[in-house]
This record gives sequence, C-alpha cells and structure tokens, in this order.
Amino acid sequence: MKFTYNWLREYVAVELGPEEIAARLTLLGLEVDAVEPLYAELAPVRVARVAAVHPHPNADRLTLCDVEDGEAQMRRVVCGAPNVRAGMYSALVTPGAVLPGGLKIKASKIRGERSEGMLCSAQELGLAADAEAATGIMDLDPAAIPSLEPGLPLRTALGLADTLFEVDLTPNRPDCTGVIGLAREVAGFTGLPLRRPVEQAPLLPTPEQAGSDLPFTVAVEAAECHRYAARLLRNLRIAPSPPWLQQRLQAVGLRPINNIVDVTNLVMLEYGQPMHAFDFDRLAGGRIRVRRAAQQEKITTLDGVARELTPAMLVIADSDQPVAVAGIMGGASSEVGPDSVNILLESACFEAKSVRTTAAALKLATDSSYRFERGVDPQVAPLALERAVALILELAGGEAVPGGIDYRAGVQPSSELILRLRRVNDLLGTALDIDTVEKVLAGIEITGERADDQTLRITPPSFRVDLEREVDLIEEVARLVGYDRIPAAMPKVAMELPAVDPVAERRRRLRSLMQAAGCHEAINYSFVNPAHADTLQLPADDPRRQALPLLNPLSEEQAVMRTSLLPGLLDNARHNINHQSPDLRLFELGKVFFVEERQDLPREEEHLAAVFSGRRSPRAPMLWTGEEPVDIYDVKGVMEELLTGLALADLQLVPAATTPSYAMASFQLIITDGPEGELLGEAGKIQPAVLKAFGIKQEVFYLELNLTELSRCRSTSAGFAALPRFPAVKWDLAMLVPEEVEAGEMLAAIRKTGGKLLEQVEIFDVYRGKHIEPGRKSVAFAIHYRDAEQTLNDKKVGVVHGKIIKMLEQRFHGQLREA
Amino acid sequence: MEEELQRLRAEAEAKLAQITDPEELEPFRVEYLGRKGRFTALMRSLGQAPAEDRPRLGKLANESRTVLEAAFNVRRDELAAAAPSPAQRPDLTLPGRRYPAGRLHPVTQVMAEICDVFAGMGFAVSEGPDVETDFYNFEALNIPPHHPARAMHDTFYVDAGRLLRTHTSPMQIRAMEQARPPLRMIAPGKVYRCDSDITHTPMFHQVEGFLVDDKVSFADLKGVLSAFIARIFDAETPIRFRPSFFPFTEPSAEVDIGCVICGGKGCRVCKQTGWLEILGAGMIDPEVFAKVGYDPEEYSGFAFGLGVERIAMLRYGINDIRLFYENDLRFLRQF
Repeated sequence: MKFTYNWLREYVAVELGPEEIAARLTLLGLEVDAVEPLYAELAPVRVARVAAVHPHPNADRLTLCDVEDGEAQMRRVVCGAPNVRAGMYSALVTPGAVLPGGLKIKASKIRGERSEGMLCSAQELGLAADAEAATGIMDLDPAAIPSLEPGLPLRTALGLADTLFEVDLTPNRPDCTGVIGLAREVAGFTGLPLRRPVEQAPLLPTPEQAGSDLPFTVAVEAAECHRYAARLLRNLRIAPSPPWLQQRLQAVGLRPINNIVDVTNLVMLEYGQPMHAFDFDRLAGGRIRVRRAAQQEKITTLDGVARELTPAMLVIADSDQPVAVAGIMGGASSEVGPDSVNILLESACFEAKSVRTTAAALKLATDSSYRFERGVDPQVAPLALERAVALILELAGGEAVPGGIDYRAGVQPSSELILRLRRVNDLLGTALDIDTVEKVLAGIEITGERADDQTLRITPPSFRVDLEREVDLIEEVARLVGYDRIPAAMPKVAMELPAVDPVAERRRRLRSLMQAAGCHEAINYSFVNPAHADTLQLPADDPRRQALPLLNPLSEEQAVMRTSLLPGLLDNARHNINHQSPDLRLFELGKVFFVEERQDLPREEEHLAAVFSGRRSPRAPMLWTGEEPVDIYDVKGVMEELLTGLALADLQLVPAATTPSYAMASFQLIITDGPEGELLGEAGKIQPAVLKAFGIKQEVFYLELNLTELSRCRSTSAGFAALPRFPAVKWDLAMLVPEEVEAGEMLAAIRKTGGKLLEQVEIFDVYRGKHIEPGRKSVAFAIHYRDAEQTLNDKKVGVVHGKIIKMLEQRFHGQLREA
Repeated sequence: MEEELQRLRAEAEAKLAQITDPEELEPFRVEYLGRKGRFTALMRSLGQAPAEDRPRLGKLANESRTVLEAAFNVRRDELAAAAPSPAQRPDLTLPGRRYPAGRLHPVTQVMAEICDVFAGMGFAVSEGPDVETDFYNFEALNIPPHHPARAMHDTFYVDAGRLLRTHTSPMQIRAMEQARPPLRMIAPGKVYRCDSDITHTPMFHQVEGFLVDDKVSFADLKGVLSAFIARIFDAETPIRFRPSFFPFTEPSAEVDIGCVICGGKGCRVCKQTGWLEILGAGMIDPEVFAKVGYDPEEYSGFAFGLGVERIAMLRYGINDIRLFYENDLRFLRQF
C-alpha cells in the first residue's frame, strides 16, 4: 500500500516528519518498507524569470537570455526554444546538475556564446510525455502559482515536493488499504481528529424501494454480493484529469486514464473501497444483475483478454451478458471511453472468499481484488459513492440523477464482543487498567461500553472486519499500548528433564567422525533431477527409481525428491573440481524419500554419504604427504572408523558379491548384519561412465550409509578391560602365497589358530616383484602374543607360531619367507 | 674412592668448560657419561668399597653424575645459542605435519548453537517429516483452504493433500496432539518454498519453538526470545518487538535486532532502517488450540520460528543465501 505525506495530511493534520511517522506506523504493525522523497531528481531545478531575450549573433534559431534565478547576478543562458520571451517564468538547471534523463549540465559555449545553464521543457524534466514537448520550455503561470518567484525550487512551485510511503500490509488489516485507514492510525497515536472528505452520506433506497422513474435497476441474485450501491451521472465531459489528480495517482504508481476512471481509483485509494464506472449507454436494458456466471459464459475484460467463466464466479451483468467480473475487473463492452456521456457508478461489497477464488482461478490480481480479498468495510460503499459523485461532477461537469440504489440486505451486523481485563493482562503479562484499555481502543474508533469495571462490551467498527474474537481485541490493545511497554519475563514452568532424541545424538557423533576423517559437510536440496536415476544406470526395479515427483517444481533439475545423496555430492564434486579444488572429501547427512503405497506420507530415511577424490590428504602440507591419490582403502578406513565410532560390532564390512550399476565391480564393499543380511551401507569406486555423465574427469570414491536402518542395530556398550600385567612379545612372519589368496582369510585363519595367546595380528607389508616369482606375493604379519597369567618365553610362543606357519603353508599353499 | 670421585668430577667440569666446538661435545659425553664411560666404571667399582660406606658413596656418585649431566646440557645449549649451526637446527618455518579435520556446514553449526541455547532452557528437541499433509502444514494452523498464503507460488505440492512443509510449525500440532501441557519444545528442520533469488532459496532451515502451560504470557515470550538473542548475538544487541500477523498466533510479533552490520546507523543490509528482522513469534491462536483439543481458557502458550540461514548470514556477513547450497569448498572451509 502506497501513499504520500501530503495526502495523509489531508485527513489528519499531523506535524511529525515522514521518518517519525514511518517509525510509529512500523511499531503499530504497519511496517513501512520505504520512505522516499518524490521527484528527488528535480531537486536542482529552480524557477527562473527571463528578464531579456537577445538574438544570438551566430545562429538564427538560438537566443541569448538574461535570466534571474534568485542570485545577485543575472545569468546568461543560450536557449533554442521558440516560445521563449522576456518576462516569462520557466525552469532552470545550472551547471553541475543532472537531468532526470541522465544529461549532465555543464557551462559551455554554444556557437561562440557562453551559456551558464539550461532552460528546460516539461519533457526534459520528465514531467510530460513527448507530444507536449513541442511547445518548448516550461511556461509557468504566475497567476496560477501565487508564490512563484525566481530561485524557488520547481518542486515547491508545482506542489510536487512530497514523500512516498510504502507499507507492507499484513492480510489482517483491510482497513488500511485506504489512506483514511492509515490516517486513523496516525490520529490514534497523535490524538488529532480524523477528517474524511465525506463523513456521512444519505441512505439511498433499496432495490425494492427505488422509484420506477429511476432509469436503471439493480437486482442482486447471489449471496456473495453483500452490498451494491449505484448512481447514474449524465452529460459528462470525459477528459484528462487535472494535474493534481494525475500526480497523486502517478505518485503511487497508477497510470492516469481519464477524469472518470481516475476518480474511481482515487476514491478507492482514499476509502479502500474499489469502485467501477460503466458506460451507461452500453448497458443493455439499463439493468444491473449481480449473479453467478453461467457455465462457459465469456467476458472480455478491460485488459483485452477474453475469459471463460464458471458458475462459481460472480459477475455483474446487464440484460444480455456479463459486464464485469465482480470485484476484480470490468468488461471491455461497457468501458468508459472518450465518447462516453452517461456513467453508472458502482460502489459494492463482495464476499472476500468469492473474489479470492475467482481471482486465483482467472489468474487476475487487481487493485480491486487485492482489497476485496482482504475484506472491504460493508458500510463504506455509500460514503465512497458520494465522494466519487461529487468529484466527478466537479471535474467532468454534468449532473447526477437524483437518488440511486443501495442493495444492503447482505450486510451482516458486527457481533458484540466481550473483552475481559483479566484476560488481557493474563495473556499479555501486563497490569493495565480498564481506563487505559478503553482509551487506546477509542483512539482508533473501537468503542464500547463497560459491562462492569473489569469488562467491556465492544461492537467492532465495520471497517475492522478482522476483529471477530476477544483475542483479536487483545492484540489491538497490545499493539496500541506498544509491544515495547509489555515487560519481558521468564516463564514459570515446572522443571522437567527433556527427552533425548537418540537419532540426534547419533547424528552429532557421525558428523564429528566425518569431520575427523577430514570431510567437509555439504547440504544439497532435497529435490533433484529425475534423470539421475538413468545417469546412475539404476536397473528398472531399483527402489531408488520410485522418486516422489513434485506437482510444481521450479525446474526439471529439481522435479523429484531424492532417493540417494550420491548425485548431489557428485554434482558438488564436479563444481569443486571445476573451481580448482580437485582434492576433496565431502559428506552429507540428510533425508531421502521413497514413495510408500498405502501410506499417507512417503517413507523418509536418513542417509550419510561421502565422496573422496584427488589427493589423499587434501589440506595437509604437500611437503609431508606428497601427491598420493585417495584409494579404496581410504574409503574403507573411514567406513571402519564410523563402525568403530558408533560401536556397531555386529556389522561386517565385506567385499560385495554384486556391484551396483554406478560402481566398479572390483571396488565394492558392503555393510551387512550377516552373510545373508540386509544391506546397510556401501563403499566403492564410481565407474567411469557415471563419472563421465556427471562431467568428472578424475577418480571418485564414495560411501553411503542408511542411518535409519543402522540405528536399529545393536550398539555394543562401552566396557572396560583390565590392563595386562605381563608383557607381550611380537613375532613377525612373511608368507609367500598365490596372488588370489585374500588377506582377510589369512588373518581370520591366523586368529583362529593363534588361540587365546594371540592378542593381535597385523599386516605390515604386501610385496610383489624382485625375488618373488610371478603369480605370488609376500604378505608379512606382525603377531603379538600375550599370556594374561605369566610372562611368555620363546618356547611357548614358538609352539603357537609354528602352528600358524604350518597352517598357512597347508591352507594357503604358503611358503615361509626367510628374513 | 671418594677422592677419586671428586677428582673425576673436577676434571670433567674443567674439561667441559674448555669445550668451544660443538663437535667435541659427543666425545666428551661418551667418555664421561656414556654407558661405558668413566662415571659408570667408577660406580661399578663401588662394590669394592667397605659395605658401610657404599650407600653414602653411591649417593654421592649419583649426585655427581646428575650435576655433570645438567652442566653438560647447559654447555650444549650455550654453544648452540652462541654459534648456531644451520646444519643441526631444524627450519621451524616449514609447515607443521597436519591432519586437517573437515568442517561442518555453517547451517549445521548455527542450528546446533540455536538448539543448545533452547536446550539449556529446558526445551526438548524433536523433528518431523519434510513431506507433510495439508492438514498439519495449513489447516490445523488456522490457514484455511482459501488463505492467500497457500497460493501455488509459495508451496511445493506433491498432490492435493500433500506438500513439502513450508515451515516447521506443523510440529506444534504434531507435538500437541501427542501430549498435554506443560510442553516446551523446539523443532529444527528443512522447509521449502517455491522461491529463488539472492535472498531466497527453495529450501532453507528453520527452528520452531513453543511453550504451552497455564498462564504463559506475551511477557514470557519476550523474556525467552530476548535471552536467546542475547546469547546468539551478544548481550548488548538492541531488540525490538513489533506487531505483525500470522494466522496461527494472536497477538503476533516480528522480532528485530539492531543491525549488526552498521550498528543501527542504517545500511544496505537493513534497508536504512537500522533494524534487521530475525524471527516471527506470537501467542498461539485459540483456533490452533481448538484443533488439538486444548481449552484456550485453560492453557496459553507462545510459539516462534526463526530462519537459520538468516542468522548465519548475519553472523558471518554472508551476502548471498545461495552460497549455502553450492557446497563450494572455498566457502565451506571458512567456518
């Protein structure tokens, strides 16, 4: 909602400056978004009097003007306008100023003659359209502007100096869609009286009471029309509006059209009452019918668009056809144009919900629908009508046909509300007395009577359609008293131990583990490109293909809810590689969504995923860590740390029997809770075709875990084992085994054979090449032996160690490698 | 024996004092203090001394050795300080051997901080689904089907009855359906709106909070939120509560803080007002209580919702909200 400072002051004689008013309104819940001086770009333009005009010695079409501009010295200006004459008042810009079009004025020589400024046309100053510019420089009439004198700022001379306010109206304040409503608030906090252009209007006859001599009839045939007032004006002269009216509309962003339409717009902006003017001679039968549209009935609205209507929509119709979509926009067939003579003026009240749904269905939002959607005061229609009639007769001549029609059977009286002082103070935490409550409400014309010394009976004024309950009045009290005057206190609530969310705990733990693994956290949008399913080459029956689509996505790239975190992270990997960060470790912890048949809502699962690429230690100094690229064992290590960190001892990380479509077969690990168990997570290497599809040209490793499933797994509780009292001994052995022997199997076998003396076994080297025959490899183990009860001697260790060597030789075709 | 000990000590000390070349230090150490050095040899020969003298001599020998060792260390450092040898001194300006940790996303960090402040005031933390029903997201929050806030341009719909939640407020309803007052809860999470520009992303994070009991007042709302702001920003931050409108609270408020960028003088970020809006709040509307079967005459409560990105942007001076979702390492590493 826009209005200007001068406009506001027509209704309330406020002396506060614009900034102060803006601050006060904002604290009343009418948030002022902008306070801007109008025509600020005209600030350097001043009134000048042309004292004398001399011919230019070197140019026939130019003149040399001596100009008075309020300074002691006469100023010499070269002028090319045909209308310049001695004694005229015009607009002067002096060197250094910039014209609205961006032209910078400089002192210069024109055809050898010095010019210290420029006399301007209205067009050059942005005050008129091109066509009017032909007449030359501005010719200000001293008779019309008594204060006119050289040096006067042009904005002051023309009455343009004003300040624009823009209020971000909340939907609960329909009363403030008119400047009078805002003035009421200002009157409230200043204590000044509110002056309306029309305070009271005579009640017009209802359709039933209307005399048969009235040239038109009104029939309201739908309950969505609460009120319909109309009057007929004759013998009007349609013309452009006078400058004051045009400027006022332009100031708030409306385009002036003609004196009739402009008046209806002005009155709408004043009272918040949308109005419409019909060309009466084009209303068939002189009839107004407010009715539902027929099925597939059509109307061409004022914007030139042919629209099809439905029976849910309310229209204004004449005898033949719809002539307006009620409360939204008029029809082209009865539009007021230059040749119109007789006008039927409408001032009506339509149901908010009806206008809202119709406007939404037609995708047509207008200044009128904006107001009706919020709720228009049902009692303001006759006042606005009276105001508009008076203004139109003033600007367009003609006469009003006496009387008119005012259908008002649909107006519901406001119901009385009870406001309890105790309730006010309980809810606000205040200690207000009844006098204060009564007084602040009365300041904005909310009045009532005392039921007793603790209770007010209040019938909300008709312009506050939002006040329906006691609590609405309490909000008014809070707002008017000022939120800053309500004390701040801490609630007195019984102490309680809040429940701990185990999922949140686990999430925090996982984040810190991932952080410790050198991974940075990413957050991607929950909606992704549906093409990802193909990019990842998911098989047709993969559940990740069952993504939940959105009805109205912002783009095809964000059209479905994600079923995996991987595509987002792969996109992030590409982004970073392309922005010179090729060494990366990124993780994300977030939800994925699966369509669930027979369920109200989709299944939301929480996943953790990570991608690894580039150098093994992205940010560690290269001096120490070198350029080693990350590999499968890095991802495996992170996965192992996660399982250890979460104390999930029952889970196994094993090479996968089958490989997902997007991973490479030889690099795939899965987490399961048993040999035939459920897949809880996976890690591996992204296969080249998928990388290519994502635009990535370097190796990428990944892991993804299903946290929702993981959290169902048993977590081994932390326990304590006594520290050993006897020393351990470490014996090494290196075995030559065939290539295909897997280290994991050897480790498991060693552990089993080692029995309880074996404390720990570790692989410290895998070697191929020199001195090793092809097809074989050397795997070196460090085995720690310890006896809990005594210090071990070589003999005891030797027995077990020998058994292990023998086992390895037999089972894995091993051959002990002598040191 | 005792004399021998003292002679050895005197001799060693004299010799040590004469050493000027660091190269001579090691031979000296080997000769006197080494495992096969002269002090060790002498101490081994203690066994030949009379039994009653042995403890005293042993102690003396140990002391002498300790004193000599200390003197040796001092001399070594003196020589090092006097004539630093580049070959022996490490270049301490070389980088440390780091094992860099990753960083958490700034939204995660700020979210955790916010939750911790409220957890400290006894609020439980709970989360709800991202895909919500129309009932929880709108209907139960007193936003009837024809409310302007439900227009298609705000909400991502899945179908007629389901949508991506546009705020975390549905958790008010879900929590109140499950339990009776007193209720003190915050609900952090992702929310979605069809909007994308320099100040809007189609997904962002909110923290919802509410407290319901008998006799909870607007003054309590002011107290709790003021305490929160003092903790999250700083105790001197000016706070302003201003009337506003939300369908599910009455009275409703918007909470502004003095602009942290310009200190309240007026700048581009605060649109010259000196104030920044950081959260919306209000007393829970009786209509909402009616939806969950609470008697508004018996209970009252306040609710608030705040945007995590907004607070993170102010905290770190981030000027484009879209940066949060590009996941550019140059951005993520800064927090």
